[in-house]
Amino acid sequence: MNKTTSIRFGVGVASVALLLSACSSKSDNNSQSGTAGGTLYILTQAEQILHLDPQRNYTGEDLAFASGFLNRTLTQYALSKDNNAASQIQADLATDTGTASNGGKTWEFTLRDGVKWEDGKPVTCADVAYGVSRTFATDVITDGPTYAISLLDIPKADGVSEYPGPYKASAAQQALFDKAVACDGNKITFSLGAPTADFNYAVTLSAFAPVRKDADTGEKYDDSVLSNGPYKIASYVKKNKLVLVRNDQWSKDTDPIRPAFPDSIEYVFSIAQPLLTQRLMKDSGKDAMAISPDGVDPTQLAVIFGDAKYTNRRLNDYDPYVRYIAINTKKVPNVKHRQAMLAALNRADLRKIAGGKYAGDDADGVVKPNIGQDYAATGLWDGLLGEAIPDTGNVALAKKLIAESGEKFPNPIVFDYGQSPTADKSASAIVAAMARAGIVVKPNPIEVGAYYGIVLDPAKQGSLSAGGWGPDWSNASTVLPELFTPGGGFNLSQFDDKEFTAESDAAKAIADRAEQATAWQALNVKAAELALVIPTRFGKEQRIQGSMVQGAYIWGPYGSYPYGALSVSQ
Amino acid sequence: MLMVFMLTILSIVTFLLFNAVPTDPARLTCGKTCSPATIEANRIRLGLDQPLISQYLEWIKGIFAGRTYGSGTATFNCDAPCLGYSFRNGEQVTDMILTSLPVTIYLAIGAFVLWMVGGISTGIYAARKKGKWQDRAIMGATLVGYSLPVFFIGILMLIFVVVRWNILPYPSYVGPNVDTLQFLQTMILPWISLAILYAAYYTRLTRSQMLDTMSEDYIRTARAKGLPEKTVLRKHALRAGLTPIVTSAGLDLAGLLGGAVITEYIFGLPGLGRLAIGAVTEYDLPTITATTLVAATFIIVANIVVDLLYAAIDPRVRLQ
Repeated sequence: MNKTTSIRFGVGVASVALLLSACSSKSDNNSQSGTAGGTLYILTQAEQILHLDPQRNYTGEDLAFASGFLNRTLTQYALSKDNNAASQIQADLATDTGTASNGGKTWEFTLRDGVKWEDGKPVTCADVAYGVSRTFATDVITDGPTYAISLLDIPKADGVSEYPGPYKASAAQQALFDKAVACDGNKITFSLGAPTADFNYAVTLSAFAPVRKDADTGEKYDDSVLSNGPYKIASYVKKNKLVLVRNDQWSKDTDPIRPAFPDSIEYVFSIAQPLLTQRLMKDSGKDAMAISPDGVDPTQLAVIFGDAKYTNRRLNDYDPYVRYIAINTKKVPNVKHRQAMLAALNRADLRKIAGGKYAGDDADGVVKPNIGQDYAATGLWDGLLGEAIPDTGNVALAKKLIAESGEKFPNPIVFDYGQSPTADKSASAIVAAMARAGIVVKPNPIEVGAYYGIVLDPAKQGSLSAGGWGPDWSNASTVLPELFTPGGGFNLSQFDDKEFTAESDAAKAIADRAEQATAWQALNVKAAELALVIPTRFGKEQRIQGSMVQGAYIWGPYGSYPYGALSVSQ
Repeated sequence: MLMVFMLTILSIVTFLLFNAVPTDPARLTCGKTCSPATIEANRIRLGLDQPLISQYLEWIKGIFAGRTYGSGTATFNCDAPCLGYSFRNGEQVTDMILTSLPVTIYLAIGAFVLWMVGGISTGIYAARKKGKWQDRAIMGATLVGYSLPVFFIGILMLIFVVVRWNILPYPSYVGPNVDTLQFLQTMILPWISLAILYAAYYTRLTRSQMLDTMSEDYIRTARAKGLPEKTVLRKHALRAGLTPIVTSAGLDLAGLLGGAVITEYIFGLPGLGRLAIGAVTEYDLPTITATTLVAATFIIVANIVVDLLYAAIDPRVRLQ
């Protein structure tokens, strides 16, 4: 780990281009406006950034941070406050957003000329391929998304890829990867196992970012990544501070996305929450130039959102997740029974327990508005199941649906959830709400660390399972197929319907993005009507930042700050 | 010998206890769409498929002889004493503990000095003023100090001393050799927070011990001999009443050296307590096991040191 405690500013000699950018007050990159110079401070309770290693980075906030400052990817989202605009991908390391052929099974990207690592060496196709290959070393590169393994056309034996990653692959095994990810000069070609119309969205994930082989230190790479973005690491002391300074090898000419306004970034760790929110509220000194990815201290929500003086410094917008209760269709196969549970639930109570109006909005499906064009209201609570269902539930409708089912309700219903004081209260509310319609719910609290191990095992899963899901990229292809098809990674509903799966596969393969969005919207309505889950909440988050911070909003694709667009007034 | 035996038993219990929890460390090694096959593969690669006894013996071997993790070109050695490898943090647990331990030592020692000096001197003063208003005021104040939890005192001091009044800068830990002034500015509030709590207890303890011993015949004899009051108090009364104070002090100090969890959290100090809490929330079993073992070692060592101090303080318990 890089444990230098000294803070070094202005390391190296800034290039002419960099100096010019620092002197300008506006940037024309993506029409972003802001003030150049200064230091942006990021305050957090966390002791470190969970992962800076691009192949291990898998949380929205960290992905947004790293993609804004350190790791560029082939494509990236637009920096925009508007969800629809933000969900559109732009060429980043690549010259365009990729070209599909072979029915969506082959994707080709051409790398820009002139993109360099922080040590001045060029970013090459081989670097991108090597970065992608690291995901396969699952014993070293842990925690990251595994889309490279699932999407690339590399054989698997019993679900495990025959390519073990670059650290211990034999020549024959390496050849398997080199066939799937091929380089020809600046052109990189990905061969996929199945048609994937939105693979160019998948490569926004830093799991597809370049890593240079001679700089790769395996697990240790997490602490000292080689940057190809506008900043580089000057020092990183976990539990204390991460300092980024300008990367003088980065050129604005090769980067159409990042305006890179501040001269330096200081990420300050280990600040206890009551103090953290107090500091941002007080807004003095360096804290006026500070943001925090952590939510506001709940005890201060009423003050911050009740006092007009915080109006320009507070945010209340969607986080990446939809909260829901999955209904195990193997244990509750009758659709009327499942619909009855949707009708019986008191969603208002659950939201109140989760934090009231700050916890989020009533959800009407598993696709959330901040995904952009793939969202459309499903009408679930407005008559889709025959009658309107207010957020307090419609007990009469629930009883009617059970009567129409022609079968006795399969009582008792086991409800699995990860135990916490709040979850216990929610479970009690669910028991009480369902009882109104004669549905007997038996809560099954599970230790949080063991929860997903149990509910993802069909042999151990109950009839209801508490869940939450956020898309991995701004396309419902990472939501509906994942949640409701047999090949999905998070099919808590145990749903296996040939027609639904076929429609999902077809939607995945639609190349026209608008047409694909329409298909996803229809499937979202269908999933709601089939009552595969009880959507409870489109989660929201609240933040506050210093008065000198410019360009702060919740960026839809990652549910995070738009790090690349932030600046501080001087 | 007894210490080694106790530590061995403790290591077995700690290791088994934390490996018996239902959390699956292999599941935690990959993301949300991790396939069961990948989880199983990682379980084997991390050695988690081995019987617990084998895992324990491998862990013990690591402490004395070091061990090797990973495979292929990503292989790396964990040198002795290897307390394990934190896959959550990508670091050797021994390194994490060695980084955190000095912070906790500075915190504990600083607070210890404050509360011992403050608590004992105030206790002696209260004993001398027994029944007078000074005694009643001190006893009242100690009751308040003893009742206030450290998180309350800590947050209160941070909000007023740092946020509202700007008397001190925001705490940001650096080692004393890096920036002594910043170190002191960061540590002073944690020291005081802890010291208030402990000093209240030691004031009451010292007062009661002093009052007990000052009513003994030998104290009356010492005064009758014409010894100065300071000498009577220091050499006869205080020394005789010191044994229970030393016992408490030793164990309290050892407890703090194991990690002052709340204080470290509130003031953002990267000590052992914070390391342990972080490990618990991340289900980082090697770190949990190691921090527990280190904390327990402090308690055992402190007990031995206290026993040795008894002999120094009270000749009656010395071995011939």
